[in-house]
Amino acid sequence: MYRALSESVSPAQPRPAGYPHGVPPLLALEGVSKYFPGVVANENVSLAFYPGEIHALLGENGAGKSTLMNIVTGLYRPDRGELVLDGYGVSFDGPDAAIAAGIGMVHQHFKLVPRFTIAENLALGRRDMRGILSRRKLVAFARREAEKYGFAFDVEARVETLSAPEQQRVEIVRVLGRGARLLILDEPTAVLGPSEVSELYAALRRFRADGGAVILISHKLEEIMALADRVTVLRRGRVVATHLAGSLSPQALVAEMIGHAPVEALPAPEPLAVDPDRETISLRDVTMRDESGRLRVHPVSCDIFRGEIFGIGGVTGNGQVALAEMLAGLRHPDTGRILVAGQDMTGRPVAAFVEMGIGYVPQDRLRQALAPALGATENAALRVFRTPPVGGRFLWNEDAATRYARLLIDEAGIALADPSRPVRGLSGGNQQRLVLARESRIASRFLVACYPGRGLDLGAMETMRSALVALRNTGRGVVLVSEDLDELLALSDRIAVMSGGQVKAILGRGEATREDIGALMSGHGSGSR
Amino acid sequence: MRGEGRQMAVISFRRIVIARMIAIGIVFLLVAAGIYGLGLDPGMVGRLVVTSTFGTRFGLENLALYMTPLLLTGAAVWLALRAGLWNIGAEGQFLAGASAAAAIGLSGGANPALAGSPAAFMSSSLTLVLAMTASFLAGALWSALPAAGRAWLGVSEIITTLLMNFIALYMVYALVTGPWADKVTGAQMSSARIEVVLPAFAGAVHCGWPIALLAVAMLALLFRRSRFSYCLALCGSNPEAARYAGIDVGRHVFVTLLLSGGIAGIGGMIEVFGTVHRLQGGLANGYGYLGIVVALLARKSALALVPAALLMAIILNAGIVLQTVQVSASAVLAMTGLLVFAIAVADDYAAWSRSGRAS
Ligand SMILES: Nc1ncnc2c1ncn2[C@@H]1O[C@H](COP(=O)(O)OP(=O)(O)OP(=O)(O)O)[C@@H](O)[C@H]1O
Ligand SMILES: [Mg+2]
Repeated sequence: MYRALSESVSPAQPRPAGYPHGVPPLLALEGVSKYFPGVVANENVSLAFYPGEIHALLGENGAGKSTLMNIVTGLYRPDRGELVLDGYGVSFDGPDAAIAAGIGMVHQHFKLVPRFTIAENLALGRRDMRGILSRRKLVAFARREAEKYGFAFDVEARVETLSAPEQQRVEIVRVLGRGARLLILDEPTAVLGPSEVSELYAALRRFRADGGAVILISHKLEEIMALADRVTVLRRGRVVATHLAGSLSPQALVAEMIGHAPVEALPAPEPLAVDPDRETISLRDVTMRDESGRLRVHPVSCDIFRGEIFGIGGVTGNGQVALAEMLAGLRHPDTGRILVAGQDMTGRPVAAFVEMGIGYVPQDRLRQALAPALGATENAALRVFRTPPVGGRFLWNEDAATRYARLLIDEAGIALADPSRPVRGLSGGNQQRLVLARESRIASRFLVACYPGRGLDLGAMETMRSALVALRNTGRGVVLVSEDLDELLALSDRIAVMSGGQVKAILGRGEATREDIGALMSGHGSGSR
Repeated sequence: MRGEGRQMAVISFRRIVIARMIAIGIVFLLVAAGIYGLGLDPGMVGRLVVTSTFGTRFGLENLALYMTPLLLTGAAVWLALRAGLWNIGAEGQFLAGASAAAAIGLSGGANPALAGSPAAFMSSSLTLVLAMTASFLAGALWSALPAAGRAWLGVSEIITTLLMNFIALYMVYALVTGPWADKVTGAQMSSARIEVVLPAFAGAVHCGWPIALLAVAMLALLFRRSRFSYCLALCGSNPEAARYAGIDVGRHVFVTLLLSGGIAGIGGMIEVFGTVHRLQGGLANGYGYLGIVVALLARKSALALVPAALLMAIILNAGIVLQTVQVSASAVLAMTGLLVFAIAVADDYAAWSRSGRAS
C-alpha cells in the first residue's frame, strides 16, 4: 500500500536544514501509542527520520525513548499507529524483519556472542558468509568490514576479552555490516571515555555523510548539541516538539523536557572543617591481580575520610572499578590490608562490609546491581535481607520487604504501582535510581559509587549529585568513580587519578586542573604525591 | 518473538488455570479420538477409568500409592528449580535411597520369634528410622558429585545428574541379580523380601503418603518465610547479583542439590518399605522423570505439587485400566507427553496478551 505522506508528517516538525522537498523520510511514525499495565509509555507519537540526518531523542527517565525504539526495531508492536518505511506502511514481526528493512540498533547491553572472536561475530547472520568458511576468508572478511567503517580491530580476539568501548565498536560494525540504513543508539556514550566518544562521533558523521540516518538517545546535552541535526523532546510518552539543533539553547531544551524552567545547578560544596579523628577506610599497600594473573591494582596506600568526597578518575579500565570493589568488599586484595574505622576488614565477606555501613553502586546495574527478573521488593532487599525488619538469621518477612521497597521507590522518585513486578520493566534510569536509593540507605559510613550517573536524566543527575554532597555534609564518606572530569572536579574534595592500575596522584580541591588530570590519566605527568 | 503481543511479566493465577483447563480438555478429546481410532468406545473406556479410579476403594488406594513417590520426586525437582537448577537425576537418587534403605532392611532381619512383642516394635521402628536416614544420605550422596561440579566448576548439572541415573540403575541390577538376589522364591531382578514394613495409614495406604504430604507442607512453609528461599531465588535469577548481595552462590547450589537428592532418596525408601517390600530392577518406574513433570506443573508453588502429583497418579492409574482393554502400556507415556506439551503451550499462551495492556 503506497501512501503519499512525504509532506504531511506534522507541520510543527521542521525538516532537516537544507533538505530537498518531495523526498520521503526513511522512516516515519504515525500516531504510535504503546501501553504497559498502568503506564502510558508512548502516546500518539508522530515523527519522521530522514536519510543523512542525526536525530536526537531527549527526555526524562521513563519518558518512553527506549520503548519507542523497541517499536521501531520490531521488538514491540505498537498498540496504535503505524510505521511508514520509504513511503510504505510496514509492520515488523520481529527484530529480524526490522534488520532486513535496514533498521539496526546498538543496544546498551551488546548482543554479541562473548566466546566468539570478533570475526565470527561479524560473520554471524550474514547471507554472504554462509556455509563452510576458512579461517583466512573469515579474517579477511572481518578486516574488510572493520576498515569499511573506519575501525581497526584485532579481529581474532575473543569478544569476552574486550572492553566495553571495544565491544560497542564491534557491535556498530556488525549492525552496519548487515546493511543498516537507520542506526539507533541507546545512550551509547555512557560506557565511553572522552577519546572514545570523539571516535564514535566521527564514525556517526561518516555514516551520515553516506546518506544513513541516525537516531541517538542521550541525556547529555553537549553531545546532542555537537552531533545532532534535529532534536525531538519526549515527555511522558508524548512528543513535545522537534527542533533544528542550534535553534534552541540547552536551557530551553531542558525546560521543554521537564516541563518547567530548570533549577540552578548546584554550587560546589563548601569545604568542611577537618576533624583529624574522622573514621577512615584505610588501604595499606593493597594490590590485586585479576583471574589471568595480571596486576590490576599496583600497591596503593591511602586513607579515605568520612566527610569527604573522594573522586577516582581515569580512562575506563585502568583499575578504578577493581579498587572500588575492594573498598566495598566484593574483591579481596592479594596483598596488603583494608581497615574500616580502625577494624581490619581484609578478607571479610561482603556482608561484613554492608554491616559496617558501606554501600556500593556497581557499574553495571543489570548484570550486577539488580536481579532483573525479580520484583522491586526482592531487589530492594538485595543487600539488607539479613537484618530486621526484612529478615533475620533464618527468616524473610515479605510484608516488611514490600514496605521497605515502597520506601525506596518513594525516595528514588520512581512511579511504580506494584513492587512485585520485575524491575526489568523499569526504564534504565529508574533502575539506576532504585540502586542509588538502596545503597545510600546502607551507607551509614561510606558510599562507594561507580559511574552513578549512568543512564540518569539531567534532573536525576542533579538530584544524585546533591545526594552525594548531602551524604558528605552529614559526615559520610563518598568514593566517586567517574569518567566525567567536570563532575569529579565539581564534587570531589580530593581526586585520585589512576592509570594502568596505578594511583598516579591524589590531588586536593584547587590543586587539580583539567589539564593536569588529563595528562595523569594518559599516564604522563606526575602529581603532588 | 511472536507477532500478536508481548509476554507479560506477571501472569495471573486465573489465566494459568483457565489455559490449563482448556489444555487438559483438548488432551482428553485427543485421547478419546485415539481410543475411538482403536475401535473402542471412548465413553465406555472413560466410564471404566473413572469408576475404577474413583469408584472403588482399591482405585483410590492406588492413587495414594502412586502419589507418594511422585510427591517426593516432584518436591526434589521443584526445590532445585527454585535455584534455577535442573535436577534430572531424581530417578537415580530415588534408586540410591532405595538401595541404602534395602541394605538396612535386609541386614536387620526381623526375628520371627519376637513377632508382636514390644522388642520387635522397637527394633522395627529403629530399622525404619535408620533406613530413612540412610536413604536421605544416599540420595544426597548420589547428587553430591554433580552438585560439586555445578557449584564450583560450572559443569552443567543437567547432564551429570542424568548420567548418574544410569549408574544407579545398573547398580541396582547388579545388587538384585548378585549379592541380594532373592534365593527363596527365585523372583527375577528382585531382592529378598524385607520383613519390616511402614505402618499402615488407611487400608492398603501406608503412612508414606502422609509423610510425603507433610514433606511438601514443610517445603511450602520453608519457602514462605525463609531467608534461604530468598537466597535461592537470587542465585537462580542472577548469580552475579547474589554475590554482590553477599551470598555464597557455590555453597547454596551445592546444598540445594544435596537436599534435592536427599528428598528423592527418601522417596525410594518409602517405596521399598511401604509398597514393594523389595529392591527391584524396575522399582523407580520413571518416578524420577515424572517428578520433573510434577514440578513443572506446580510452577512456583510448593502446595501445587499435591494436585500435580494427583493428576500424574490419575494418568498412571488410567494407564493400567487402559491395559486391561488391550491398549498398549506405551499409550500412557504418549498421554503424559501430550499432556506436558499441551500444558507448556497453555502456560505460554497465558503469558501473552494481545496488546500488552491486559494484566
Ligand atoms: N517491559 C515493560 N513492562 C512494563 N513497563 C515497561 C516496560 N518497558 C517499559 N516500561 C515502562 O514504560 C515507561 C517508559 O520506559 P522507557 O524504558 O521507554 O523509558 P526511557 O525514556 O528509555 O527512560 P530512561 O532514560 O530511564 O532509559 C516506563 O515507565 C517504564 O517503566
Ligand atoms: Mg531507556
